[in-house]
Amino acid sequence: MAAPSLEVRDIRKAYPGTIALDDVTLTFRPGQVHALLGRNGAGKSTLVKILSGAITPTSGAILVNGRDIALRSPQDALANGIATVYQELSIIPELTVAENMLLGRLPRHRGIARFAVDRRAAEVVADRTLDTLGVKLDVRRKAARLSVGQQQLVEIARAVSRGASAVLLDEPTSALARHEVAALFAAVRSLVEKNVAVVYITHRLNELREIADQVSVLRDGKLAGSVRIAEATPKTIVELMFGSSPSAPAPTVAPAQAQPVLQIRNLNIPHTLTDVSFTLHAGEILGIAGMLGSGRTELLSAIFGAIPFTSGEITIGNQTVRAPTPALMKRLGLAFTPESRKEQALVLPMSTRDNLCLAALNRVGKRGFVTRATQRPTVARRISELHIAAADPNRPVAFLSGGNQQKVVVGNWLNTEPRVILFDEPTRGIDVHAKQQIFDIIRDLSRRNIASIFVSSELEELPEICHRILILRAGRITAEVRPHEITLDQLVARCMES
Amino acid sequence: MTRARLISLLANSVLEVVLVAACIFFAARSPHFLTLDNALNILRSVAEIGVIAFGMTLVIVAGEIDLSVGSMVALAGCLAAWLVQAGAPTPLAILCVLALGFACGGFTGWMRNRYNVPTFIISLAMMTILRGAALKLTHEFPLTPFPNWYDFIGSGRIYGVPFATILFAAVFVVIYVLMNLTAFGRAIYAVGGNAEAARLCGLNVALARILVLAITGLLAAISGVMLSSRMMAGNPNVASGWELDVIAAVVVGGTSLRGGVGSVWGTLVGVIFIGVVANGMLLLNVHQDGQLIARGIIIVLAVLLSRLRRIQVEV
Repeated sequence: MAAPSLEVRDIRKAYPGTIALDDVTLTFRPGQVHALLGRNGAGKSTLVKILSGAITPTSGAILVNGRDIALRSPQDALANGIATVYQELSIIPELTVAENMLLGRLPRHRGIARFAVDRRAAEVVADRTLDTLGVKLDVRRKAARLSVGQQQLVEIARAVSRGASAVLLDEPTSALARHEVAALFAAVRSLVEKNVAVVYITHRLNELREIADQVSVLRDGKLAGSVRIAEATPKTIVELMFGSSPSAPAPTVAPAQAQPVLQIRNLNIPHTLTDVSFTLHAGEILGIAGMLGSGRTELLSAIFGAIPFTSGEITIGNQTVRAPTPALMKRLGLAFTPESRKEQALVLPMSTRDNLCLAALNRVGKRGFVTRATQRPTVARRISELHIAAADPNRPVAFLSGGNQQKVVVGNWLNTEPRVILFDEPTRGIDVHAKQQIFDIIRDLSRRNIASIFVSSELEELPEICHRILILRAGRITAEVRPHEITLDQLVARCMES
Repeated sequence: MTRARLISLLANSVLEVVLVAACIFFAARSPHFLTLDNALNILRSVAEIGVIAFGMTLVIVAGEIDLSVGSMVALAGCLAAWLVQAGAPTPLAILCVLALGFACGGFTGWMRNRYNVPTFIISLAMMTILRGAALKLTHEFPLTPFPNWYDFIGSGRIYGVPFATILFAAVFVVIYVLMNLTAFGRAIYAVGGNAEAARLCGLNVALARILVLAITGLLAAISGVMLSSRMMAGNPNVASGWELDVIAAVVVGGTSLRGGVGSVWGTLVGVIFIGVVANGMLLLNVHQDGQLIARGIIIVLAVLLSRLRRIQVEV
């Protein structure tokens, strides 16, 4: 008998202003690992959330074994045999492995003691389940003492012990060390042997051949294509992800023989960065290309003094710094727009006006006094210059769209009159139009001789904006390329080579 | 548009409206309520707690808390009395006490940064240490060495206005300016709203935390001088539980315990509101039991109102 298959048919999810998923149809077969790929915002997580019952689709159907089911809650999904293992694990640290696996379904004693949990029985069940996955773990151990990889295996075992017929794994390897990945893959293979349909969300192309049977790629909410892994080359997959449009030529010519403004020499952070050295010139836009976990965010954070490094030095202008702090680097003419706007860059309850004046409080103020009157010229200038669509700058910045929030972050730093701006993922979660505006701002800065370092997980953005690109792989700079010398799939390949 | 404006204006001044309503209510019930004397009486009676509440507003907006203020009030009075008894000139004794308050608050802030211990814990420890110090200093009995002029601080009047009320107003103005018109004020909101963003903007997060706690320590010491002056004694057992009264006034004024949101003006209204209700109930002969229950209910209602206001703003 064929185990039930999981199908989505014409699934659409619309939010005000955007369509996150646009009529996607896919079948996940039992005994298969079906990988879902796509860039950030392509719709992968929306699809996962729909399948796990966390959100309901605007239209379309979900079918288990050909039968239309309505998923209104995560409980519905579980009842239909669909279990999800999220990136953020839901392990309770103070409980044991067995308790975590059987939470909510713990066996009880019989008779008078039926209020009490039967630990022995629980441990036996848990042990047996782990065994079938080929996982060796003491089920009496507290979950707090497990590694992330082990916790993930416990979650997979939880799904199995519930009798799930489909298991969704959301970027399961993103937080794992090398040897843990092998254990995870072994567990996934035993799921396949049990005829479970595995939906495997990832952005690591190099894992596919090892684990997946089928690859489906989402792009801008649509299904870009679905291929058997045996018939796919990395090139076809990259083309599905990014589209086959030729990479745009670099818009501006690199400033010839400009003065160096920032020099990094032998920067080291154990297990993260190894001997990173490079030079940035006035007005240059330098891209750092690397996959997630390559150390690109850590590199920018370390240069700005947001995180410490163990050795190395940074020269900006004619000052050499070995122990930077954000306050010091700001004084020396460095600016930093961090990776996550809401957590690191903006004070959400404060107004747009105040957020535009934070980094340069003393420049905006007069003798320590900062009032609306002293803020007004600066705020008005940034809003018009950066085209910030803020109906009322006195309202909390939280009300702005992502793109406008990002422009507020940039404007805030422009007030410090920096020589160099470090952009970490400035285009994350913002729409195409806003993205072009951010690019225009960076190009304009370049013309005014302000240099930028640009990091983005959307690799195709780098050739569009940068004069020069450094490839960062596992914490080392492995190559330097010019945008016109390289195609996108070569760039992607260079970042992934191992 | 005008209707939406009106709604948002009303939503933003709910507490002011309720304060006026309470005044009308008490005025209708008691002929003594709406008199200049009574108004000044209210403003005098809230001064000692109110002075601290302005400092506490800074602390809570910065995302911290200070539970040691009540004990600081007691220790301030006792130390002043002890110094005067030991022969120190009274003005010098007052200066020493203020310095102590500033230093103790600053120490709490320093500990918070240096060891990353929540101020809830450090100031809880400070609360018992300072109270213990006050008891030790006085051997558990009130000291009464103050010269006659000393009672002016807590009980004196200038042109009929209580000096304590003038102090209260002065502290309000200073803290209001600090919070709304200075770079330091912006930094406090930023640190409380998102400490990481503030740090990455190159703001001195540690200094902001230390200073708000130091200022609150200083204000608690001022309050302690005011109270000991009114009682003409350094009494180690006074002001116990004040930290909660102060926090209640700040919260009623719309400041969020999560940090980043709040206003000095709101605290002023909150302090006066609590004072008005206490005074009005006294005039209506409500006993202390009833007063306590009413105050608790007011705190809950005020928090619900400020939540309503937040929802209104988001619409």
